[in-house]
Amino acid sequence: MIELEGLTKHYPNSKKPAVDDFSLKMAEGETCVFVGPSGCGKTTILRMINRLVEPTSGSIRIDGKDVLSADQDQLRRNMGYVIQQIGLLPHRTVRDNVALVPRLLGWAEERTLKRVQELLGLVGLDPEETGGKYPHQLSGGQMQRVGVARAMAADPPIMLMDEPFGAVDPIVRSRLQDEFLQIQHSFNKTICFVTHDIDEAMKMGDKVAIINEGKLVQHGTPMEVLSQPAGPFVRNLLGEDRGVKLLDLTKCQDLMRRDEGLLQKLQGNPCTIGALQPVKAALEVMLRKDCDTVTVLRGDRAVGALTWQEIKGHIHGLSGEDHEL
Amino acid sequence: MNFDFAAFLEALIHRSPPHVLEHLLLVLVPLLLAVAISFPTGILLTRPRYRPFAGQVLALLNAGQTIPPLAVICIFLPVWGLGYRPAVIALTIYALLPIARNTIAGISGVPLEVREAARGMGMTAREVLLQVELPLSFPVIMTGIKTSAVLTVGTATLATLVGARGMGAVIFAGINFRRVELILAGTLVIGVMALLLDRILTLIEYALTPRFLR
Ligand SMILES: Nc1ncnc2c1ncn2[C@@H]1O[C@H](COP(=O)(O)OP(=O)(O)OP(=O)(O)O)[C@@H](O)[C@H]1O
Ligand SMILES: [Mg+2]
Repeated sequence: MIELEGLTKHYPNSKKPAVDDFSLKMAEGETCVFVGPSGCGKTTILRMINRLVEPTSGSIRIDGKDVLSADQDQLRRNMGYVIQQIGLLPHRTVRDNVALVPRLLGWAEERTLKRVQELLGLVGLDPEETGGKYPHQLSGGQMQRVGVARAMAADPPIMLMDEPFGAVDPIVRSRLQDEFLQIQHSFNKTICFVTHDIDEAMKMGDKVAIINEGKLVQHGTPMEVLSQPAGPFVRNLLGEDRGVKLLDLTKCQDLMRRDEGLLQKLQGNPCTIGALQPVKAALEVMLRKDCDTVTVLRGDRAVGALTWQEIKGHIHGLSGEDHEL
Repeated sequence: MNFDFAAFLEALIHRSPPHVLEHLLLVLVPLLLAVAISFPTGILLTRPRYRPFAGQVLALLNAGQTIPPLAVICIFLPVWGLGYRPAVIALTIYALLPIARNTIAGISGVPLEVREAARGMGMTAREVLLQVELPLSFPVIMTGIKTSAVLTVGTATLATLVGARGMGAVIFAGINFRRVELILAGTLVIGVMALLLDRILTLIEYALTPRFLR
């Protein structure tokens, strides 16, 4: 568990603090996404956690232990860090870049190389082809993958990821996100993930921390944030399509009606959707095929139905009194 | 003054060789001393604690560089007298600046995010210096050393004026006796020495440069 308490950073020669009385708890195994506009202090918070920046005041505890009195280098070796500018060592091969922390920790060379091999595969790079290359021979997306692999190399329980997928086009980004979610599900790390992309935040986060001008504005699950945005800043950040985003977070199987009678009637309905698909996809089917009811399938079997009325009700229900939707 | 080709050859083949080794010593010794002083100083001046002084030290060295070498030798004449030693000291002082300047510039030129990443991965300040900053700034530092080397090959000619001999002995004999063959032969040898030294240092640099930078 990571606990930030009253964390404040006042850089010399600046009028306002970059991070202002910031308090937050992150549970073990949880991905917490810090999201907010450029310059709101996200990077500064991450860098205080691994002590690249010393807080002006406040405290940071990891599993109850005070980080600010720990040995800096040891602390960092046990904390994966993906830096915003990637920062691969240009004079080292991809393999040696990924091997950096294991070597600092004094792993046996054989174990290190095996781990490097495994990680490059994990982040979708061919170890044979890419391992011997130098960073300048890679594309932006490949560099980011190496940056992520390097941070994960020594299997740290905590990962700090500063816009890890920032330097790639939306398609590659979406693929990297999916792949990382896969990885994350099987490793159960505590992850502090920084982004200024609200959609990425909603997709990657178990929890989302919305930050503005160094202050925590709202902290909660993506669903909580979308359904009960705390004030105009959050509402603005979420954008006009909050309702659609909500539908993106809800799976069809969670909203569908299990009504045998209705299913009977819907036999042969051309509008179908997978049970694990987001409701947004069902909406898409309705619009495209011009129908009001979608049959929800698990495999080939019809397990429920989603109606236009239900989807509307869902949005209204979650957003409560908020008429701006 | 007439040019006598036979005399030129004589100067080249018989007069110059004994002075080549003297000259080489007048170059290599000050060069090694200058590296021994400037390289660590340059590193120190890039450490956070001493970085604020880097500008002042460079300004001082820059000013030193503008004093003509002969003047440097003359200034220290009362202290060190004549001979090999004062010549070496003056030439060393003269060779300091390019090495210090390039060491500082090279290390400062390491991209901030690379340094940050290295620190962020848990490298100690020492590991960052040895494994990141120095390898990456090595070509720039070597350029400084080469500049000093070539510079010293030239200025070492003047050492003969304080009795340290070297190739200057041939050239100044040519000037004193109005023998243009001697001047030309001496100059030619010095030029070749400068070129060879630069080549050799370049080869050393190539052998030691991290592969990606080549
Ligand atoms: N080393 C520094 N010295 C002085 N001010 C700094 C320093 N680093 C950051 N700042 C200032 O602190 C504020 C927060 O910066 P920070 O890098 O944490 O923002 P961010 O949320 O990561 O932004 P971005 O999304 O653009 O990366 C900014 O106003 C920035 O100018
Ligand atoms: Mg940032």
